[in-house]
Amino acid sequence: MVVFGSIFRIAGAALWANKLRSGLTFVGIVFGVTSVMTIITALEGATGAIEKQLDTLGPSTFMVAKLMSAFSEEEFLEKIKRKPVSIRDAEIVEEDCHLCEKVSPRAHGGARVKYGDKYIRNVDITAGTANIVDIVDFEVAQGRFHSTEDDLYKRRVVLIGDDLREEFFEGVNPLGKVIKIGPEKYTVIGVAERRGEMFGESQDGFAIIPLSAFIRQFGEPRRRGINMLIKARSVELLPEAMDEVRVIMRTIRKVPYDEPDDFDMETADSILEMLNNFTRMFRLVMVGISTISLVIGGIVVMNIMMVSVTERTREIGIRKSIGAKQKHILLQFLFESVMLTLSGGVVGIILGFLIAQALAGQIDMDIEPSMLAISAGLTVSTGIGLIFGIYPAMKAARMDPIKALSYE
Amino acid sequence: MPMIETDNLWRTYTMGQEKVHALRSVSMTIEKGEYVAIMGPSGSGKSTMMNLIGCLDTPTQGEYWLNDQRVRQLNDNQLANIRNREIGFVFQTFNLLPRATALHNVELPLIYNGTPKAEREDMAKAALAKVDLADRMLHRPSELSGGQRQRVAIARALVNNPSILLADEPTGNLDSKTSKEIMRFFDDLHHQGNTIITVTHEPDIARHAHRVLSILDGRIASDERVPESERNGIH
Ligand SMILES: Nc1ncnc2c1ncn2[C@@H]1O[C@H](COP(=O)(O)OP(=O)(O)OP(=O)(O)O)[C@@H](O)[C@H]1O
Ligand SMILES: [Mg+2]
Repeated sequence: MVVFGSIFRIAGAALWANKLRSGLTFVGIVFGVTSVMTIITALEGATGAIEKQLDTLGPSTFMVAKLMSAFSEEEFLEKIKRKPVSIRDAEIVEEDCHLCEKVSPRAHGGARVKYGDKYIRNVDITAGTANIVDIVDFEVAQGRFHSTEDDLYKRRVVLIGDDLREEFFEGVNPLGKVIKIGPEKYTVIGVAERRGEMFGESQDGFAIIPLSAFIRQFGEPRRRGINMLIKARSVELLPEAMDEVRVIMRTIRKVPYDEPDDFDMETADSILEMLNNFTRMFRLVMVGISTISLVIGGIVVMNIMMVSVTERTREIGIRKSIGAKQKHILLQFLFESVMLTLSGGVVGIILGFLIAQALAGQIDMDIEPSMLAISAGLTVSTGIGLIFGIYPAMKAARMDPIKALSYE
Repeated sequence: MPMIETDNLWRTYTMGQEKVHALRSVSMTIEKGEYVAIMGPSGSGKSTMMNLIGCLDTPTQGEYWLNDQRVRQLNDNQLANIRNREIGFVFQTFNLLPRATALHNVELPLIYNGTPKAEREDMAKAALAKVDLADRMLHRPSELSGGQRQRVAIARALVNNPSILLADEPTGNLDSKTSKEIMRFFDDLHHQGNTIITVTHEPDIARHAHRVLSILDGRIASDERVPESERNGIH
């Protein structure tokens, strides 16, 4: 052990003695690792944020809507012509679907919300039936969510997001206060737990009202239609429940048997998968570029080590002549190459994270250091040092002492 | 039992078509505690011989026993151990690490046998003190005179208390005054029981030894004891 400690120090001293050369190699590795880390951390962070969002829907929940995804403009233009999903559709599905535990129709709109002389433009107005709270994982911070009765009597009650509370009711109890959504008056019955930001957009600038009140004020959404959140009886029954809903929907909407669905149906998982498919190409290209840059870094390391071994042939001869074993010489040069790449790796990981964080900061997204990125960075940089350092180190270790000593 | 025994030792270098026989059938024995000088003209094979004895090189043919071990049968690690513990080699060209201090150079053999740092430093300092360099420990070779470098090389060869000291023209680069200092030092070592083999061109230096082996064209031409009356140095 004493031997390895000493050899480690000898390797460090040799790197230090060749500051310029070591420095350039180090910078090369730092660049390679930084670019890889930036990409991995940013991608991980973005996917993580979306996953968290989708997690609020349970694993047994799926969504039905006129249009949820389009991969091309043609597809989009085709889908936009579809008949909107109506409240009537939702009612029939709720009645006929045996494998569905809950069916919750939702509508979305935007409106100006006003309290006193303060107002916020274009607040996201979400309308739903009372059971929406059983499907979407909503945390109510204060007050309550609207009830079946509120829905039945089309009461103008509202649960507001935290942005609205902050703007209108700082330091005041919002419950029972009356705000205006468009021209109509709504009584605040609850405040939602703060959700924070995603991709730079606040997730708290919304108001939730009963679906009946929404229709009373805005009418049934004619173009966009409504969407349905459906919870299957269990996770196992999810595929069958989806099939059942598909059959019911096709029947109501009179889709001929040889035509495709005229609506979209997605689970949280399938949305995630779409997302992953989208980023996969991007990932592959990026990983490809990074691999190339790291291999180039490795070749630079190998080249530097070969030069170093040749240059220090006499030193190797001297060490062997006074009793250094092959493994000692091998380790000395391996330590050198790994120290170069690993220190470059550590700096690259830190820089990569800082850059990813700065980029994420531009869109107000918060990312955490990814364990995957850190361990990948450490493994890869150590690996490069070992893989590209082993050949020069072996060449050094196997030198004949006499030949090495007489090398000019 | 002899400490060093060679039987019909050959060392042949192949240069393309040509073969250079640096050693031809050398058989000899050296006992423990002997002080031997090897003489001969340039190119006669003296260094080749020293390298073989020092386990730095392998013979083309023939056998070499060191302390009854057949050297041909030893593997790389065992040879490294012998070079580290049993043999102290002083090279004609010093062969010090140019960037390292005198102290680190002397410590080197101890590093490879795992001597703990504190002990290693003490031993290296003691060895440097023995060659009168206690005040030059932190100098690099380029900051030392030729004689001082040679003494660092000697300290390095002795730091592990090897049983055999091999010195290839240890005074080849030195003036006569420094040469005398070094030779006096060797005399002392021999007195303390070490086995010493030294290569030299100068009869004056050779007369410090008790036995002179003359090599000519790769063969031992003569093997003579130096009469006590003709010896140099304190005996
Ligand atoms: N690596 C080598 N390749 C080819 N020939 C060599 C090699 N080393 C030595 N020789 C040859 O072997 C012979 C003996 O060389 P050696 O170095 O042993 O001589 P020496 O007696 O030490 O000479 P000097 O007194 O000049 O140091 C010489 O003819 C030399 O040219
Ligand atoms: Mg010679």
